[in-house]
Amino acid sequence: MTYLGSILKSAITDFGKNKGRTFLTSLGILIGVMSVVLLMAAGAGLKVYISQQFESMGSNLLYVMPGNMFGEGGSGLSGADGGMAPLFVEKDIVTLKRLKGAEYVIPYYQKTVKASYVGTTKYATLNGTSEDAFPGNNFIAEYGTVFSSADNSAKNKVAVIGSNLAEKLFKDGSLAIGKKIRIDDQLFRVIGVLESKGGGGLGGPSFDDYIFIPYKTAYIFNTDKKFIQITVKAKTEEDLPVLKEEIMTELKKRIKTDEFSVVESTEILNTIGSIFSILNIVLVAIAAISLVVGGIGILNIMYVTVSERIKEIGVRRALGARRNDILWQFLAEAVVLSVFGGAMGLGLSATVVLFLRSFFPAYISWQSIALALGTSSVIGVVFGVFPAKKAADLSPIDAIRYE
Amino acid sequence: MLSTVISLKDVSKKYIMGGDTVFYALKNVNLEIKEGEYAAIVGPSGSGKSTLMHIIGLLDKPTDGKVIIGNKDISSLDDDATSTLRSEFVGFVFQQFNLLNKLTIKENILLPIGYARKKFDYNPEERAEYLMERFGILDKKDSFPNKISGGQQQRVAIARSLIMKPKLILADEPTGNLDTKTGNEIMELFGELNKEGITILVVTHEPDIAERTRRQIKIKDGEVVK
Repeated sequence: MTYLGSILKSAITDFGKNKGRTFLTSLGILIGVMSVVLLMAAGAGLKVYISQQFESMGSNLLYVMPGNMFGEGGSGLSGADGGMAPLFVEKDIVTLKRLKGAEYVIPYYQKTVKASYVGTTKYATLNGTSEDAFPGNNFIAEYGTVFSSADNSAKNKVAVIGSNLAEKLFKDGSLAIGKKIRIDDQLFRVIGVLESKGGGGLGGPSFDDYIFIPYKTAYIFNTDKKFIQITVKAKTEEDLPVLKEEIMTELKKRIKTDEFSVVESTEILNTIGSIFSILNIVLVAIAAISLVVGGIGILNIMYVTVSERIKEIGVRRALGARRNDILWQFLAEAVVLSVFGGAMGLGLSATVVLFLRSFFPAYISWQSIALALGTSSVIGVVFGVFPAKKAADLSPIDAIRYE
Repeated sequence: MLSTVISLKDVSKKYIMGGDTVFYALKNVNLEIKEGEYAAIVGPSGSGKSTLMHIIGLLDKPTDGKVIIGNKDISSLDDDATSTLRSEFVGFVFQQFNLLNKLTIKENILLPIGYARKKFDYNPEERAEYLMERFGILDKKDSFPNKISGGQQQRVAIARSLIMKPKLILADEPTGNLDTKTGNEIMELFGELNKEGITILVVTHEPDIAERTRRQIKIKDGEVVK
């Protein structure tokens, strides 16, 4: 057996005799590694989740929003109407629609409303928008149909509703078609129920709770005739930069530059991504404190172990062990203890992540496995070296005479 | 002419006690152990025999004088070299046996092998088996030290001291923790081993035990009085 093999074996045998203490000592590292790995897994999973949400809304999108920055006070993506005052008018929609690279132009007027049908009342987010909203957002009618530009021009009181709202009001989405629902104090005929998009939950209502009506019809509610946001979908990805410039140029004719902004979906995704990364790093750093605490636990127990085994150290020295043989022996024990905790922490995290996966795509990356095992070995070395040094520096005679 | 295993020349070990008081644990000790000797260092407690044993066993170094092994003064060796020399030169047998309770009998006997830096011209495993068989403890090879009797434990310790084929067996009160009958058996075992040519030095405060060896080195107040 090699030298390393024999000291590792000796360390492991030692812990076999002291199972309770070994477990309790490595518990600190276990908890530390587990919190770090879980937070990393959750962070990575959330990022995947968010980009999936964005992808489900379609690509090549440009968001035209009031204010010169997105993010603050809600971007309008998730339907928050707070913060920015609606700014855009019907003329802008028409102008943008004329641009060459624009495939769909989707204005949004948003309002929280009470929707009721035969005594059942639910809060919902009303969207006054164009017929482009459906193809532009990959919204497909599961039952009935979506509204047309003719419905818009004629200001027809027709509504397309999300699957979740349909289920709440009608028990079954298919029963909603042709029914009249009351939106605040106005009666609308339901002409379509959308397929579920899932999601929501993360700081805003889900699309499945939305009501879509033609924006011209929505002037009943939208007395200012202003829109909070216009989403423009480019025909191709190559059109995006030019289209963005054209939108800026067109809108600048009417609105001051710093009063609106045109943002690509990838920019929003990147911003959310970097906010998440920073948040995740902070959380992981906090979790890392528990690793240090775990390391101190190991330091403590290794000092106890050394004091308990002074005689053994003396015997080993008498039998020819060098200072470094003793140092390595105790260092190996500290590292084994720490890596054992790390491995158990990793195992438990894997179990928790499997459970989390039913909610969102959390995953343990190779990096976090390497980080967990690497960190725990480093902790073993860092916190094991002082007790091991103490053991190695004992004088053989004092050690062997120790009772 | 028998070669010298170890010789001490004017060896002193002194401690500064604070102020100008100097305490001599050993004072000008001159001693030579020849190959094949069976000797006892005998003296009352506090006489300096433990210090002498530690110096001969390379666990301690004198403050003055020379310790010569194979024509070389080893006092100047550093800690690592001393440890390596210790592993090859001397085999210890202790009063409290000093076996490691978490290792089996066989593992205990083989423990010094792990610290050896030399190449073996024999198979240590086979030698361990041979020693266990010879000492009647082969059936205990997978037992742990706390499961066997004191006499058996001391046999394990003797086997451990022999595994490296050292030049010298240093036994510190080897019968001190044993009843008279078992103690006698251990001393008989040392006698047999000596007849085979193994050099043995027993440290004891019991004159009875010392008389069973062939040479008594009496020590008193740190000095060899013959």
